[in-house]
Amino acid sequence: MRLKLISCEVLFREMCQACAHSPHQVDLEFLPKGLHDLGGKPMAARIQEAVDRTGEGEYRAILLGYGLCGNGLDGLTARHTRLVLPRAHDCIALLMGSHACYQAYFDGNPGTYYRSTGWLERGQGLQQLTHHTLGFDESLDALVRRYGEDNGRYLFEEMTRYRAQYRKLTFIETGLEAGGEFMAEAAAEAREKGWSFERLPGDLAWLGRLVEGVWPEAEFVVAEPGQRIVASYDDRVVKAQA
Amino acid sequence: MPDLDKLHKAVIEGDWKAAAAVTHAAIAEGVAALTIVGCLVPAMDEVGRLFECEEYFVPEMLLSARAMKASMEIIRPLLAAAGDEPVGRVVIGTVKGDLHDIGKNLVASMLEGGGFEVIDLGADVAPERFIEAVAARHANLVALSALLTVTMPSMKTTIDAFHAAGMRDKVKIMVGGAPVTQQYADSIGADGYSDSAGGAVALARKLGVV
Repeated sequence: MRLKLISCEVLFREMCQACAHSPHQVDLEFLPKGLHDLGGKPMAARIQEAVDRTGEGEYRAILLGYGLCGNGLDGLTARHTRLVLPRAHDCIALLMGSHACYQAYFDGNPGTYYRSTGWLERGQGLQQLTHHTLGFDESLDALVRRYGEDNGRYLFEEMTRYRAQYRKLTFIETGLEAGGEFMAEAAAEAREKGWSFERLPGDLAWLGRLVEGVWPEAEFVVAEPGQRIVASYDDRVVKAQA
Repeated sequence: MPDLDKLHKAVIEGDWKAAAAVTHAAIAEGVAALTIVGCLVPAMDEVGRLFECEEYFVPEMLLSARAMKASMEIIRPLLAAAGDEPVGRVVIGTVKGDLHDIGKNLVASMLEGGGFEVIDLGADVAPERFIEAVAARHANLVALSALLTVTMPSMKTTIDAFHAAGMRDKVKIMVGGAPVTQQYADSIGADGYSDSAGGAVALARKLGVV
């Protein structure tokens, strides 16, 4: 069957591999990384636009390469074609291979930053937008240029203080790294910030099932035409409703 | 009579030095501390409005909050000396497991600017710490923040802990944070929800005025 995948570019390498192995014909469309920084509603609006650009009758399903992503998928509506979304909080859960695995790791490793190939090499496109409107991740220099020496320094301190609560950087290794440079970059970042470093083997089977068209109820929500995807605030993460 | 419009303007423009200077001048000329608070509150309301209509973003809000705090720090001892009671006492923190505190800090500043006494427990706060703080400081309001959908269940755990401790009826509990919704707030038995820092102050006034 013919499927359309709309995915965050943070999963670029992983999705390309999964699609290459899929028994189906999958058309790919990647959207910029970091849409969640815009907030739930603006992110959902961007994804809905991509969904709505898809022609009627062209595909058996539109697959979403996302998790709930801070409610960025909440309210997404299936028009003429069903939508399929993994029951994941975010891409880190997808890369770890299950909600249970992610929850256990999250609970057992408080204060952890995550990195993967996509987190290291993708996302420059949207940075301009999120930096300028939200001020997140802006450098000290950039803040000083915009707000003056005193206020710029103050903002940098306020907006980066949460980082002091982090203690660890975990690189999720998926086997798709062409060389050791991604891991080296992640390890260097951990060293620079004084955090411990862990290399965690990822599991791409969950993503694989998305593009293989195998959608068990426990792992995926399917919104039929006319239904919406909404956050369920329980272990199912998301649900479909009329 | 010093020009309190200048204080209003300094807060909106995020100029903490001007805010402090005007406050000092006003006090030197005998303006009552409560009159100055009466100027800060609408200024922060205006900042909240500018944020709502996307003229201001997080950095501008933080700078306005800084200016407001610069003024508050000068008048707080005077308010205490005059025996002026805060409009309410709020215990605030991000819930267990959540380390993201920019939004929480902003709400804490806005509440302070709105005349509340704010007991800020910081980030990653376990339910029992919220309970201890409410008991020790006789707070009448609790504000819970979460940025991640994966940590949102800690809001429910915290509210449940207040029930278990027999203290749920002693406090009003408000929740907020990027992924939080009114529907979620209702489902976990929170007393209120706000989708913005400015809205949080209005909500706190509604819930927490003793």
